[in-house]
Amino acid sequence: MNSRLIDKIREIVGKENVLISEEERKCYSFDARAHGSVPDLVIFPKSASQVSEVLKLANEHNFPVIPRGQGSGVTGGAVSISGGVVMVFTKMNRILEIDKENLIAIVEPGVITYEFQEEVKKHGLFYPPDPASHKYSTIGGNVAECAGGPNSLKYGVTRDYVLGLQVVLPTGEIIETGVRTMKGVVGYDLTRLFVGSEGTLCVITKIILKLIPLPESKATLLVFFREVEDAAICVSGIISARIVPAVMEFMDRASVICSEMANPIGIPEETGALLLIEVDGDEASVKAQVEKIIPILKEKKASEFRITYDPKESEALWLARRTLSQATYNLNPVKVAEDVVVPRSKIPILIRKLEVLSEELNIPILSFGHAGDGNFHVSIMIKDEPRDWEKAEKAVREIFKETIQLGGTISGEHGIGTLKSDYIDMELSREALITMAKIKKLFDPNNILNPGKIFPKYMKF
Amino acid sequence: MIKTAVIEELKKIVGEGEVLTTKEALKAYSYDGTTNWIREPDVVVFPKNTIQISEILKVANREKVPVTPRGGGTNVSGGSVPWMGGIVLCTTKMNNILKIDKENLTCTVECGVVLQDLNNALLKEGLFFPPDPQSFLGATIGGIIAENAGGPACVKYGVTKQYVLGLEVVLPTGEVVNLGGRTLKNVVGYDLLHLFISSEGTLGVITKAELKLNPLPPSRKTIVAVYDDVTKAGETVFRVLENGVIPGKIELLDNWVINRIEEMMPMGLPRDADAMLLFECDGIDEAVQKETEKVVDISKKYGATDVRVAKDTDEANRYWMARRAGFAAVFGKAKTVLSEDVTVPRGKIPDLIKKSKEIAKKYGLELVMLGHAGDGNLHPSFLTDISNKEHYEKATKAMEEIIYAAVELGGVLSGEHGIGLEKQKFFTRVTDPKVVDLMKKIKALLDPNNIMNPGKIWE
Repeated sequence: MNSRLIDKIREIVGKENVLISEEERKCYSFDARAHGSVPDLVIFPKSASQVSEVLKLANEHNFPVIPRGQGSGVTGGAVSISGGVVMVFTKMNRILEIDKENLIAIVEPGVITYEFQEEVKKHGLFYPPDPASHKYSTIGGNVAECAGGPNSLKYGVTRDYVLGLQVVLPTGEIIETGVRTMKGVVGYDLTRLFVGSEGTLCVITKIILKLIPLPESKATLLVFFREVEDAAICVSGIISARIVPAVMEFMDRASVICSEMANPIGIPEETGALLLIEVDGDEASVKAQVEKIIPILKEKKASEFRITYDPKESEALWLARRTLSQATYNLNPVKVAEDVVVPRSKIPILIRKLEVLSEELNIPILSFGHAGDGNFHVSIMIKDEPRDWEKAEKAVREIFKETIQLGGTISGEHGIGTLKSDYIDMELSREALITMAKIKKLFDPNNILNPGKIFPKYMKF
Repeated sequence: MIKTAVIEELKKIVGEGEVLTTKEALKAYSYDGTTNWIREPDVVVFPKNTIQISEILKVANREKVPVTPRGGGTNVSGGSVPWMGGIVLCTTKMNNILKIDKENLTCTVECGVVLQDLNNALLKEGLFFPPDPQSFLGATIGGIIAENAGGPACVKYGVTKQYVLGLEVVLPTGEVVNLGGRTLKNVVGYDLLHLFISSEGTLGVITKAELKLNPLPPSRKTIVAVYDDVTKAGETVFRVLENGVIPGKIELLDNWVINRIEEMMPMGLPRDADAMLLFECDGIDEAVQKETEKVVDISKKYGATDVRVAKDTDEANRYWMARRAGFAAVFGKAKTVLSEDVTVPRGKIPDLIKKSKEIAKKYGLELVMLGHAGDGNLHPSFLTDISNKEHYEKATKAMEEIIYAAVELGGVLSGEHGIGLEKQKFFTRVTDPKVVDLMKKIKALLDPNNIMNPGKIWE
């Protein structure tokens, strides 16, 4: 990037909002999992019109622009593949409006999800999407990736809470999509096309969110099973009893062992699976739900369970689950993480397949995740050696093949980015991919916005 | 006019018996749930499977013949009217429920399945498909998805969009694509699935759908709140929600509707009331009990003159039958009814009602107000007569003012009926030209010869 161009960009966003030194730029060359190229420039725009100016310049001078929130993504979405400008939204972080009457809020993309959740809580309101990174990830990033989380069985994913957007198109036009109302059919649903587009179709500059009343209380149950099949039958049993828990987290045998070793909470030996269940609502209905769940646990062969209505004690029950992500690194230094989803009833089939695979390849494979919606995080733990990488690659292909065969999908909430783009054609047909590529070209004729993401490398833009 | 050779080709694809060209048949497929727009097609075809639809579209695309997909034809914004003639592709013979998956709470259906038939089948399994357009006796799943239909239950359960997991779609050029999947989460590539939902048959033909289902709530209760001022009813709606109660349904009926229903089938509704709200709380027993108490308290607090809780299912059913009869009551009373589908943020319901009343008064018209107050979606209606030019023009003008008032209040033109033919002129006026342009480009991308349902949304 030549200095005249850099000066122009500094003029647009202000000198203080541009990082030039290599050390600083380097910090923006990776996300929570992927390493990419060091950008030529890192900028912190303060408004949609600044974003628009920079994008127009990018079209004119043909440099890539990569939108980024906190960089907590796990598929490389916020990382450049070849220099350019990383556009960080942490300085557009105002909550513009919380409208209690209409149960909506308007935010800038850089607002931290957790901080927003805490703020609306003060008004007795609730913004449910809770990706594991919600304490530091931004809402803009959540929208771009269509993030989910443990409570999406009952409450849905980010998509279900985005009513409208202000976005800047790759060519610089600022447009508004969607509505402020609960219902609205006004032409094609561009809002949902943008949600989950991983920063490749537009830059999100403002978000209208739907809120719901905050549930009064909750109960947390930690349940142990000898066999994974029993846990799965239990999940089905609960749902068939017309109870929709807010959370139904699952850990397989390998995960249970790994977590217990790192941070023992007295999980019974021989535990083959664990469920963490939360029900919420008003006090009476929470009690009623728990009373219905307990006989099901007993009937479906739970070996032991713990229960609390106290939010503080609930933290203790969450410990095993919360410990796990970090603890996996005790097994091996590198994590290849997948985010597959299968129809709920197919969970045991997939888990057994993973156990076989782990044994065959002789590498630890752990799976844990959201049993309610069938979304699993599969962690393949390897050493940073070519032989292990080869094994991991083989495992991933096998896992995806099995997932698709079971009627599932290869990514539930993490997106495709750069890390999964080589596999996307295992799930999507050629026609579907071509249609998506055409849409990309329509919006971004010069391919300047977050290039190299989602599509397989053989597709040229 | 379509060439005879093309009709012959269509006959080869679907079979002689599945192609209609008689005058009477064409007339029968020339209008939708209203009779405000009439245009006869050249031919009506009844495909039986996806491959046939693909073949039909290939022929149409080659010959540049318009194709208008149609389910039950119950829609009310002109979406299924063949505005440019050509082929009406009627999906009613693709009406198989392919699978009900009780374990995963999903089902797979062909596009022509009628909603009522689906819900009857689901009932046996203790399940239901929440979106409940009031045309459920005739509306098909394909049409419901194409229009992103809603209904009373959407205040709690959301609209059709939230219940479609996957679609099989035939593109205008004949390719068959599968979008989405069978799971609750899916972020693989762009969300084309939601681009097709609510595209009003302009981007392709929906042939198969994977739907998300809910377990039937074990318990429900109906509450009637009566008001001497319709704006107080409007306020109660958002006060209830603000207090953390989301009932399964909240419907509003005004004095006019109450009286017409009483004339049609006397059931003891308060005839002198300015408006009434009809609530339904559903869920597990304990929660329903508590919610009902809250709704009763809040209704009283915000000015209800009388609040009743239905004693039993019989009484509850009577009230809901009355609500369903509401539209019939309106349509039965005038030659032409102008009925809108505006949606405002819930807190603005009283403002919209006030404003609508002022407008009606200004033009000397009788206003009817009913709708899904819970999500801010109201159907203000004027009774008029299209053959009485002066009156009809007055009504049209007044309705325009109501629409603009709704948009000014932060609302939208259409909550659940779609743009179709009816709202075109408003759509282009209230939508940013850049946005319209983008939508047109997407349309051109997928349908280069503009054969799919031409003349709709913006033309």
